[in-house]
Amino acid sequence: MIWVEILSRHRDVATRLRLAGPEARIGRGYDNDVVVDDPYVAARHLRVFRDDAGRLVVEDLGSANGMFLDRGRERFERIITDGKMPIRIGQTFLRIRDNAHEVEVERIVPVHSGRRRLVMAVALGALILGVDVLKRWLTETGEPRISHYVTELLAVAATAIGWVGIWALLARIFSGHARFLSNLLIALAGLLVFTFYNEFVQYLGFAWTWSVPASYEYVAAWLLLGMTCFLHLREVGSTHLWPKGLIVTALLVTAIAVQTIQRSEAFSASGRQGITQVLMPPAFRAVRLQDQDSFFGEIAALKATLDSDRAKARPDDSGRF
Amino acid sequence: MRSKRGELGATCARLPWGRMSLLFRAILASVALTSQLFGAVPAASASEAPSSAAEGIYAAAPPRLLQIRTLVVDAARQTSTGSGFLVSADGLAITNYHVVSQVALEPGTYRLEYAAADGSHGDVTLLGVDLPNDLAIVRLDKHDAPFFAFNKAAIEGTGPQKGERLYSMGNPLDLGFTIVEGTYNGLVEKSYNERIHFTGALNPGMSGGPTVTADGLIVGINVATRRGGQLVSFLVPAKFAEALLRRVSTQEGTPNLRADIARQLGAWRAALYASFAEAGFRSNALGPYRAPDSAATWFNCWAQTNMGAKPKPRARIDTTECSSDTSVFVAEDLNTGAIRIDHSLVTAVELNQFQFASALTQQAQPRLLTAGPLRKWYTSERCHEDFVRAVPGPQHPPLRAIWCARAYREFDGLYDVSLVAVTQDDGREALVSRLSLQAVGYDEAVALGKRFLETVEVIR
Repeated sequence: MIWVEILSRHRDVATRLRLAGPEARIGRGYDNDVVVDDPYVAARHLRVFRDDAGRLVVEDLGSANGMFLDRGRERFERIITDGKMPIRIGQTFLRIRDNAHEVEVERIVPVHSGRRRLVMAVALGALILGVDVLKRWLTETGEPRISHYVTELLAVAATAIGWVGIWALLARIFSGHARFLSNLLIALAGLLVFTFYNEFVQYLGFAWTWSVPASYEYVAAWLLLGMTCFLHLREVGSTHLWPKGLIVTALLVTAIAVQTIQRSEAFSASGRQGITQVLMPPAFRAVRLQDQDSFFGEIAALKATLDSDRAKARPDDSGRF
Repeated sequence: MRSKRGELGATCARLPWGRMSLLFRAILASVALTSQLFGAVPAASASEAPSSAAEGIYAAAPPRLLQIRTLVVDAARQTSTGSGFLVSADGLAITNYHVVSQVALEPGTYRLEYAAADGSHGDVTLLGVDLPNDLAIVRLDKHDAPFFAFNKAAIEGTGPQKGERLYSMGNPLDLGFTIVEGTYNGLVEKSYNERIHFTGALNPGMSGGPTVTADGLIVGINVATRRGGQLVSFLVPAKFAEALLRRVSTQEGTPNLRADIARQLGAWRAALYASFAEAGFRSNALGPYRAPDSAATWFNCWAQTNMGAKPKPRARIDTTECSSDTSVFVAEDLNTGAIRIDHSLVTAVELNQFQFASALTQQAQPRLLTAGPLRKWYTSERCHEDFVRAVPGPQHPPLRAIWCARAYREFDGLYDVSLVAVTQDDGREALVSRLSLQAVGYDEAVALGKRFLETVEVIR
């Protein structure tokens, strides 16, 4: 008994055939046991038989394009197959197995896991919307209007659902399962981390007078987005994780570099830092009060920076006052 | 008084006519047909006695009056026009610095030309400038021409009398030489630079023209009007022109004007900040706080509140704002030297501490007073921010202070500085104090900043 499996490009089984004879022939011609509709496959391409030890052997019948293992470049005349590594002829991937092929042990169905994740997603979503509303309320200096809150919440929810919908669609196309809940959890977790990070950075800027994280918040935002995208991609298909990671990293590096250049150009064009100095209630102050002398000591040190800025802005002395 | 406040706040800048005539150039073609009407205005009131004086003055003036044109060298067309007048038989003439500033700063790109009332014209050489008083001296290729003499009382500072008739001349909007009748109203109060308040209709293009008494002697030089005012015009007192004339008559050769302008700006602003520091800060009550104001006499202060606003504001904001009218014209796109002190008392009406902090955030953004295009004149701004207590003691509240500064690219030792301090002693009430200094020396600014913060107090 020989089993022949024709695989999709993602190595999922597209067709599975059970052949009763001791030998099987594979090719494009109709005199074969398995007919493969691939223009790069020979009319009579492969023969499968058992050797003296009873192992399954695949043999090339003299095709022009040859026989390979998976994506390998080494051409084989004959392969003793283990049933795991796919064999490539033309653009088609095949697996040859026999009845004795060992399968993985039965997985245990996770009880209630779907419901638990649904509860988690709802809780995360509620937390994000709650934090948004709270933030909005705490920075409200005019008259609060319910419509503003509702609009903002709807916008956040619609964006999140739209984003998750796209990833679910991709997952459905490429792996057959939408995995909506998993994608939703990934997106919500990313959003939640960003929301808290944003607040934390503002807190550091005010309470600890440390504004560096605020200036580089865009880097953190991109990193977070990149990580979220990578997790989504893993849901779409768990193969090729290295290339996926590399692509995400490359896009990430490009985005951060472009924005860094943009910001430094905007700074030299406008001369402004482009950061809002956020104030918080005085009770949040976490550092000691500086005395007059040390505060103005730091300020006096800025003079050297300004003078070197001036020297750089005026590299030659022509046309100088 | 309050209704004027907005206009004043927005327009206390001087009006450089050279630049204004540029703006008006576009409509010159359309007004060309009506220019005769403009010329007829002085004649229309000729029946009254003082106007006969005007006729007499105007009859004698034309050979002494000039139009000074700035031309683009390559295009040989005027880019701006002003007025001027001869003050010596060998062709020395006085005009405003702002009429000739382009030539002073970029002599390769621009050149000067004069046009006289008889239609003659010729080249003009720039000999010297007085930047703080907006004056310049030029030489014309003219000999044995009649010229204007200075009024002796004006030079000595004893005349003229308030209410005296004065006659101002020039070439407004490039329409032709014109005489304008007006009144002497003494020196402008609350002004650091000495200026005569002249009530008369000066127009763009008359910059640098002479203003004379009924006997035809120079009292002042036309320099600016107040936008939004009615006939409110300003003259540079004649004594500065006379001093400049004496200086230039004795100088040998032509100085490096760019270097001279930088030196004059430096000297002028050093004197300005010395007198600002000497006057010192005096504290002014604002709610429970004591906020520093300048004790110098040349500040204009205004107050403002949002309590009348509807719907009722959720944070009450009472603002006082003192500004000095001290900017000098340096270039077409740079008027600098202003000083400003603002305070806002912000009190929560219906806001919690977080909402109040957000309201304060809007009030406390550091903003440097910008006087010209950023990339041309300034380096990037650098800031430092921290919590500070200026002086130990309960009457000195903890402050959240931010200092931003930038340097002038072209002027060594000159900086723009803004210091904002927000009191941190109460979660629902705070004083936002702001000191803005233009064209200040860095160490002077640090010293002033220290004194400014020391003067912020709270009494609860």
